[in-house]
Formats: sequence, structure tokens, C-alpha cells
Amino acid sequence: MSSIAPNLANVPNLRRFENFPKADMNGLAMELTHAVYPHDQMFGKYCTLEEYIDCPPDQVYEYLADPYTLGEWTYSMRDFGELDAEGRVRSTDKIGGETHIYTRVDANPDARTVDFHCAWDQGDKLWMIYLMRVVPAELVLDKPGSVVLWSNCHHPFYDKNPFPEAAPPERPIWVGDLWPFFYAGHWVEMQNLKSILEYRHANNLPLNPAAIARGAK
Amino acid sequence: MIPVSLAGTASFMPDAVVDNQFFGISPESRRGGMFRGPDTRHHMSPEETAADMIEKAARTLCERMNVDPATDIQLILTNVSLPDLPFTGCGASVSHRLGCAPIRIVDMHNTGCVSFVFMMDLARSLMTTTGAKTALICNAQTSAGRVFAHPQNRTRPQSAIPGDGCGVGLLVADDHSPVLSIATRSCGAFADDMLATSECGGSYWAPRESAMHLDFTESRIAAIVGRGNRLVPELISEACADAGIATSEIDVLVTNQPNEVFLRNWREALLLPKEAHVDTYVEHGNLFGAAIPVCLERAEQTGRLKPGNTVALGGFSHAGDYAAAAIIRWKTSSCG
Repeated sequence: MSSIAPNLANVPNLRRFENFPKADMNGLAMELTHAVYPHDQMFGKYCTLEEYIDCPPDQVYEYLADPYTLGEWTYSMRDFGELDAEGRVRSTDKIGGETHIYTRVDANPDARTVDFHCAWDQGDKLWMIYLMRVVPAELVLDKPGSVVLWSNCHHPFYDKNPFPEAAPPERPIWVGDLWPFFYAGHWVEMQNLKSILEYRHANNLPLNPAAIARGAK
Repeated sequence: MIPVSLAGTASFMPDAVVDNQFFGISPESRRGGMFRGPDTRHHMSPEETAADMIEKAARTLCERMNVDPATDIQLILTNVSLPDLPFTGCGASVSHRLGCAPIRIVDMHNTGCVSFVFMMDLARSLMTTTGAKTALICNAQTSAGRVFAHPQNRTRPQSAIPGDGCGVGLLVADDHSPVLSIATRSCGAFADDMLATSECGGSYWAPRESAMHLDFTESRIAAIVGRGNRLVPELISEACADAGIATSEIDVLVTNQPNEVFLRNWREALLLPKEAHVDTYVEHGNLFGAAIPVCLERAEQTGRLKPGNTVALGGFSHAGDYAAAAIIRWKTSSCG
């Protein structure tokens, strides 16, 4: 048995080449590789999806980083207002009837990450966080275009609305009731994103015409 | 527990076959893919009762199995989705009509769409404790004509899905077609997610102006779908493990028939081909508890279910309050 690096000696549960032989690793890999995976296991705690978009990565990033484009590619976010002093914008999430949703975008052009910090009903604690990253397809798939990664974590507030007083009266659903459909809902929105960007890119149209219109005002 | 066998099943369908136009669904407005719904379904007439349907299906079964109802039916178990009468089930009426002299009659009001398996389980227990050798297990789905055909309900999206019908089975205390295992589960947390409701609200027994219909709590729909997807493969896998077989050894899969998406997801989860899964949904709609015996009869009559096959029964009820599965080695020898 090879010696274990001193810095790691006291760390429990490590499986490294030095202490976990290849045959054991193969056995474990076999065991961990199932033919099918229950939906809950795949999407119960984290909901991650990914898609290829035939549109250059910097342009996909710019489109995503503009919160107003959520009015185009999401299924139900509409009627966006002005950005407030903290960079939040209020819109309506039609899936909750007359539900307000608050959004702030934290974007990093170098990493091409776009993090949407959102919440239903109130804007003080933006706990619904959608993490997106645009990767050049040239690097990962050896072809032009972008790969978009999108992750969402099952925050405990999805299970219980911590701000019931902020909800419109008689609203029959809470955003977290839909968690079992998040993969499906986000898949539809990812396809919307892909369709919009690929259509505009293929036809040499401005990718974000609404932003141009706003700029012209 | 003594060994028991499922000796056979039989069905009865009401005469009236209802097409999609009855619900205002035109070929153009029909949804595509997995949500296209059934082509047809049967509806009971207002005069028809669950006891009528069970009697007819049971007579077919007795004739087919060469069983004398007067001496050979010692237990009668029924489950009827919307009973002929409030307060009581139809088991006593069925017994009288068939001329049976049973040791026990049980009208079971819970476990809905998977009640056939729960009744098998209960019948096996009763056989063990009473010495009864035979049990007639009866499922009647009655809510399509009684609830979903109502003019006020007809155009609701869910109204075209259910169909009426009856399936019965004969359980016998021998090992010629052995029930290898039965797995059951109750999940009380999901018990309150199915609603009997109406436009004007109020309790279902209260006089009022609008018709009752069945619905699910809107906020729980996504969760119910998740539960249904998960529970049935889990219970079938559990029953397979109890029987000492792999799920890949299932020759014929018989489940309740809520919609095409659940059917697809269950066989995908069990890695079974479409051909192994009996599907009468397009023809009969959702037969609730009657689906399992009706599909089993269909499988045998079409030659898909052959002697020696391993058959898995499975399903869940309502919003996921019960789930069950059973594994049977079909007719390994002629009737004992």
C-alpha cells in the first residue's frame, strides 16, 4: 500500500488511487452505474440541465445577462418594471396568477456566468437562485456555438413559503409546489432560449431587439 | 400464510360505448402525444348498478372456471369506486344474486385503483384464519357514467379519461398458479389530496345546484405525478425481491391504467418493453380498480400471458395514499 499524503491523512472517506485500488474503484463504479435513475434522485435536490445553442457564447451571455430578456424566453415572467436602486426588477409570474417576482442579475462576463437571484412576492430576500453558465462549444464540443448549463438548488423555502403574508390572497399554489416539474419547466424554457437565439442568429437579426428599442428611447 | 393462487379473471363492460364527441372533443381539438386520451370508454346507464356488473362478470368467471357459486365461493370481497348506495357496499347483494353461502363478505372502500391487489392480500389472510378455500374478488368502476357524464362535468378536461367496467378474480387456496409475493404500502400523508368537489362548494352529501366531480388539490399535482411515478416501480421491485426474482424476469406487467404517461414511466423504470405491458387505456380509459383484473383477462385471452409466465400486478390509488404489487407464477399446473 502506498503512503497517504500527510495533509490528507486525517480526512475521512477519501478514495484515492493510493488507498483505493483500481479493482475496488471499478467495482464501486459498476455499483454506482445504474441502468435507470428515479426522477427524484436525478432532480430532487438539485435540478441541472444543459443545452447546445448555435449562437456565439459572448452573444448568448449578453442576452442572458439582460434581465428583460426573461420576458421572452421564460414560460411565464412578464410585465417587467424599472430596475430599482439595488438592481432588482419586478415582474409578474403568470404561473402564480397575479404573483410578483423580483429578480436581480449577478453576471460575470469573464466566466460568462449569469446568476438570477429571484423571489416570489417580496424582494428583500432573493432566495430562488438560478445559476447559468455559457461555455464556448468550440472548447467542449469542437464546434461553433454555446453550451448553456443551468442549475437550481432545492432551497428549503420551496417546501414552505416563509413569507405567507406577502402572497396575494387565495393564491392556490406556491412556487415550490412545482418543484417536481422544475426539470420539465426549465427544459421548456431552455428550448425557448435556444429557439429564439438560433433563429435570430441564423437570420442575422439583432439578438436583443427589445434592448435596442430601449436604448433608442 | 397459506399458499394461494389466482385461478383466473373475467370482466363485464356496460353496453354503452362513448366516443370523444360526447365530451366536446373534436378530432381537431384533441391533444396529441401521450395526452391524447382514450378513443372510447364504456359508461354505465343510470339504471345499471355495480352489483349488476359484478354478477355478470362473476357468472362468466364461474362458468369458465367450472365453479359452482353455491358451494365454491367462500369469501366475497368487493371494491366499487362510487357505491350503489351510501352506507353499505354491494357484497351481500352480489352474494344473494349468485346464490353463494360465503363465510365472509367484505366491501372494501379504500385502496381504489390498486384494490385488487389489496383484496388478494386480505383474502389470503382470511383464508389463513377462516379455512376458506376460495375467494371471489370483485372490482367495479362506476364513476364514469355516474359522475363524469353529467352535463355539468362533461367538458372538464378530466371527464373523458375514466371508463366504467368490472373485473373479477378467483383466488384459491392451492399452489397451481401461485401468488409468490404481495407488497403493500400506505402513505397517509397523501390521503387528503383527492377532492370530491363542486362549483358551489359544500360537502358532497349536501343538497346543492351543481354536480359533484373529483379533483386533486392544485398545489399538489406535481407532487402527485412524482409519487405515482415512484411508488409503482418501487412496490413492484419490492414484490420481485420478496419473490426472489429480478424485475427483468417479469414476462407480463399488469397495472392500473391512469394515463399513458404513467404507463410509459412505469415500464421504463422497470426496463420492460412495451409489449410486456398490458394496455387497454385507449379502448377503456381509466378503469380505476377494475383495470388490473380486466387487463389480466385481456392478457390471457390474447395469448400474451402463457402458463409458466411470471406476471407482475401493480398500481397506486387516488393521490398516492396506497400502492401495492404482487408477483404470480401463472398456471404452473392445471387447477388443483
